Amino acid sequence: MEPNNFSRRQMLHSCGAGFGALGWMGAMANHGLANLAAEGSSPIGVPHFPARAKRVVFLFMNGAPSHVDTFDPKPMLAKHEGEQPSGKLYKESKGSGYMASPFRFQQYGESGMVMSELLPNMSRLADDLCVIRSMHTDVPNHEPGLLMMNCGHLQPVRPSLGSWMSYGLGSENQNLPSFVVLSPGRPVVGPQLWSNSFLPGQYQGTSVDTNDLDVDRMVSNIKHPLLGKVEQRQQLDLLQALNRKHMQARENDSIFDEQIRAMELAFQMQSEVREAFDVARESKETRAMYGETPFSNSCLIARRLLESGVRMVQVYYVTDKNKQPWDTHSDNDNQHRKLCADSDRATAALLTDLKQRGMLDDTLVIWGGEFGRTPYSEINKKNDKAKPGRDHHHTGFSMALAGGGIRGGLTYGATDEFGMNAVDDRVHVHDLHATILHLMGLDHERLTYRYSGRDFRLTDVHGRVVKELFL
Amino acid sequence: MFRFALPFVFFLLILYSPFVFELNADETDGEEFFEKKIRPVLVEHCYECHSSSAKAIKGGLRLDTREAIRSGGESGPGVVPGDLESGSVVSAMKYESVEMPPKGKLSESIIADFEKWVASGAVDPRDAESVSAPLAKSEIDWKSASAFWSFQLPKRVARPSVEMSQWIQRPVDAFILAKLETEGLFPNEAADRRTLLRRAYLDLIGLPPSEQEVQSFVRDESPNAYQDRVDQLLASVRFGERWARVWLDVARYAEDQAHIVGDDKSLFFPNAYLYRDWVVRAFNLDMPYDQFVRLQLAADLISPEDRENWVALGFIGLGPKYYRRNAPDVMAEEWEDRVDTVTRGLLGVTIACARCHDHKYDPFPTEDYYALAGVFAGTEMLNMPLDDSVEAKDGHAKDPEKSMHVIRDQKPRDIKVMIRGNVENEGELVERGFPRVLTGGERVFFKNGSGRLELADAIGSPNNPLTARVIVNRVWGQYFGKPIVGTPSNFGQLGDRPSHPELLDDLSVRFMQNGWSLKWLHREIVLSATYQQSSTIDDVKQERDAANQWLWRANRRRLSVEAWRDSLLVASGAIDYSFAKGSIQASKATDVRRTLYSSISRFQLDPILVLFDFPDPNVHSERRSLTTTPLQKLFAMNSDFMIKQAEQLADRMINLDVSTNNDRIRNAYASIYSRSPEQDELQLGLDFLKEASDEKRQWTKYLQALLASNELLIVD
Repeated sequence: MEPNNFSRRQMLHSCGAGFGALGWMGAMANHGLANLAAEGSSPIGVPHFPARAKRVVFLFMNGAPSHVDTFDPKPMLAKHEGEQPSGKLYKESKGSGYMASPFRFQQYGESGMVMSELLPNMSRLADDLCVIRSMHTDVPNHEPGLLMMNCGHLQPVRPSLGSWMSYGLGSENQNLPSFVVLSPGRPVVGPQLWSNSFLPGQYQGTSVDTNDLDVDRMVSNIKHPLLGKVEQRQQLDLLQALNRKHMQARENDSIFDEQIRAMELAFQMQSEVREAFDVARESKETRAMYGETPFSNSCLIARRLLESGVRMVQVYYVTDKNKQPWDTHSDNDNQHRKLCADSDRATAALLTDLKQRGMLDDTLVIWGGEFGRTPYSEINKKNDKAKPGRDHHHTGFSMALAGGGIRGGLTYGATDEFGMNAVDDRVHVHDLHATILHLMGLDHERLTYRYSGRDFRLTDVHGRVVKELFL
Repeated sequence: MFRFALPFVFFLLILYSPFVFELNADETDGEEFFEKKIRPVLVEHCYECHSSSAKAIKGGLRLDTREAIRSGGESGPGVVPGDLESGSVVSAMKYESVEMPPKGKLSESIIADFEKWVASGAVDPRDAESVSAPLAKSEIDWKSASAFWSFQLPKRVARPSVEMSQWIQRPVDAFILAKLETEGLFPNEAADRRTLLRRAYLDLIGLPPSEQEVQSFVRDESPNAYQDRVDQLLASVRFGERWARVWLDVARYAEDQAHIVGDDKSLFFPNAYLYRDWVVRAFNLDMPYDQFVRLQLAADLISPEDRENWVALGFIGLGPKYYRRNAPDVMAEEWEDRVDTVTRGLLGVTIACARCHDHKYDPFPTEDYYALAGVFAGTEMLNMPLDDSVEAKDGHAKDPEKSMHVIRDQKPRDIKVMIRGNVENEGELVERGFPRVLTGGERVFFKNGSGRLELADAIGSPNNPLTARVIVNRVWGQYFGKPIVGTPSNFGQLGDRPSHPELLDDLSVRFMQNGWSLKWLHREIVLSATYQQSSTIDDVKQERDAANQWLWRANRRRLSVEAWRDSLLVASGAIDYSFAKGSIQASKATDVRRTLYSSISRFQLDPILVLFDFPDPNVHSERRSLTTTPLQKLFAMNSDFMIKQAEQLADRMINLDVSTNNDRIRNAYASIYSRSPEQDELQLGLDFLKEASDEKRQWTKYLQALLASNELLIVD
């Protein structure tokens, strides 16, 4: 065994009877139940190699943004407007064909990265961004696409990226969860996207509805509805006195101490958690920079959480009425105008904010959706004519990364001249996952969990670390 | 040729002597060298174009299995062990023939590693990943494979002789004591009566005893006092409610789907509870376990007349249905769920591992997996109308709300091996049948219909070496916090070996001889001296066996979420035992039926269940993890559920027909802990309650603290 390849059992032993690491994520009992070592020996709290990023924020554009309208310009679409694409993906129809993007693309920054006019704020940060134009995934349907992007598998019942990361690295702040999901509404698929699945329960993402910015309503059980701090402290003192008395009659079995400490921590945690989630503590200027939409509020909370030591924050771009706003089957252009305006402003604000605080270097920012959108138009099924929407597209799409050891100003990979298929330096979702884990100091082939007789990985038997993206 | 002779002999040894793999230390070094130096390079620089996952395999050359790299591609063998001159891989790396990888020549040190690797025999452990199933098949020596402990039929074992024989109360004690004596240990004294009764109540019915029940037991001088209580508890309907949940973890019971497309609820199971309640009844009626299992797989075929029992088919019929169902790759996933639940749940073996390749550690070739999956390929999930008045089409109820969720046979069919689990990569057709190692190496085929009845019979059979052992081990684990086999759903090579193999064997055989009666099994365990020990930790014994592997004491345990929530409801007085249809929301303060009756969602589990280690109902659960988290404590401190229970109890205490806080505290202790307070506890309470301006508020605070205490949460 290599020195940094701790088994969970060893980890627990090295922390005393299993409660040394008690925090938000708590302790796994190693008394009584045959503990996890048999099923899940694996690294915990120890990276496999030096990490370039300490934390991750994944801004998820639910419904899938159009790559040919944002990061991947395709002049050929205008030239061949209305022509039928070939290939098995496309069902032939008289009415529809290639649809050019109406948006102007130009070069930005010293790197000369080409981006669309829909992203005016992000384009100012072009030299910090790295755009992968050669993403591809397996299926053009939202559910499996979302599961693939979040959990590395087309079906449910696999742990999510954030859960794997929590499992591998633990938490930086014992008083906060290591994996938080901010979602103003419920995305398609829902909780499976942040599921711990067969990993122990403490690695599940803590999901928070950011529609209501009142912290006490946002985080469940974080505050007693009636008792203030003083009164609750009195209550707790009584409880702990009773607990200690109960324990003393039982020769200080560690099982009791663990419970008493967890209770104490919970009490202390209340104020820290409420503070971390509370955007009301931000200045007017900062609030204004982000904008005050559900997504931008989530981005601002994300920054507060990252700053407080949360390992991974996932922000879903949804609303309480729309589970996938980016799914622009009709009126693609106008919808993208609106969506990009909001997302661009908040994303750029987050990047700027992280940069100003010196956090961007070790914070990996990811922007993208479950796949891309078709370079050709939708068909109106009633009259078999083109309609100005774009359909789901999984064989080529773009994602943007920044910070956390990523080489800014890099445009990586390419789709063909119509944006149909990733052709150069193709990056599958598994490769993206391997790359993200690598930046966090985790080897995607060694981050395994034994379950059901098998060693499971986020990347299954796939995954290539795209080292070309690194600084 | 002479210079290659030695390595070539070594190569032959690798190929033809199975012992080399186990005994030759160089061999393990070789594997390590491969894993460290060779595999990562192949993965990073070669697999993109030369593996099964490549979009187009270049030059017909695959490098991702041992066989493939050796047999090579268009340019001849990739690697010839021991022969540096013949293989194409190294020469390509050196840019001698073709230039690989094309993006740039690899470093000299990497090339040197490859040369070293080839020269020393090209040790390559990747045989199990091989696509060439026939090779693996012929490699299994069924006779020696069946000799593994768990594939041998359990046998009666003579009681070991022990010194402290007067301690023994049931046969299991002899086995425990023999081990203890061998280890230089001896059992703890018996637990005091109050502790014992609370333990037995919580274990058998999942509820604490009342103060009166404790008092009457403490005062009962009859020699049968304990046995009488145990028999009463086994006869209680609460027994089935407690133990049903253990089974529902095994059966990955749930009422909906993980995937919800739009608001489409057509794949949900609105009447899933019928299956849950059937399990409760079956346990209360002490249905023989073999029959219990057989009905859950094939009730429709076993008792075509008795539709009442068909609801048992929910074991399969409530399984997950995935998005895009009926697409071949999706159905392959669903079959895996069925195979996994049946084999890990009922047999304690991990046959789902053999879906993509032969099992790497246990004698389950890929064909064993597809032989079972074929049974489920010929079975469909069905919303069967509850009665004749329900509108149906082809037997499917139009309204799922008016149906029970079962299965039935479709056109029987065998399916083909999917090489590496890929639905588009078909291998040979596999006849439906039972895993060979469980029938002594004989191939037993299923001929009738889907084969479900034959599968049910093969599992619920005294000739099956695993079925009885697996359930006995699960039940034992519930009582001691630690099963005899530490991996209750994996009795294979990578699973734990039994800590007390003779005990497990003897108990399993006697369990079958006693008509597969679970109540018999519970009674054997609960009446044992082993079970009745105190949980006191003795320093000397702790020093010898800190993990209590040999059971010199009882293990203290945190209650399951079910027993804890139920205990809170008992203490507050809110609990509702009435029989009702459907399910409750466990976190809702006003839903006060037992926790067993919680609605179980694959999509989003109830928060209290999530917090307290309830397993993911999307898959079979081998056992629950046990965590202690501040989030659990935040629930105890701040949740609506806890506060409501405290308020309700406060109302009761304040309105009691007694005059002093002293009497009220005594009543509260009786309600919550089934005991009287000690003097200092009484004083703490009196001090806390005396200066209250708002009596109800202060009492609620006080009682919430009592409810949130360790005493309620942990059983000694």
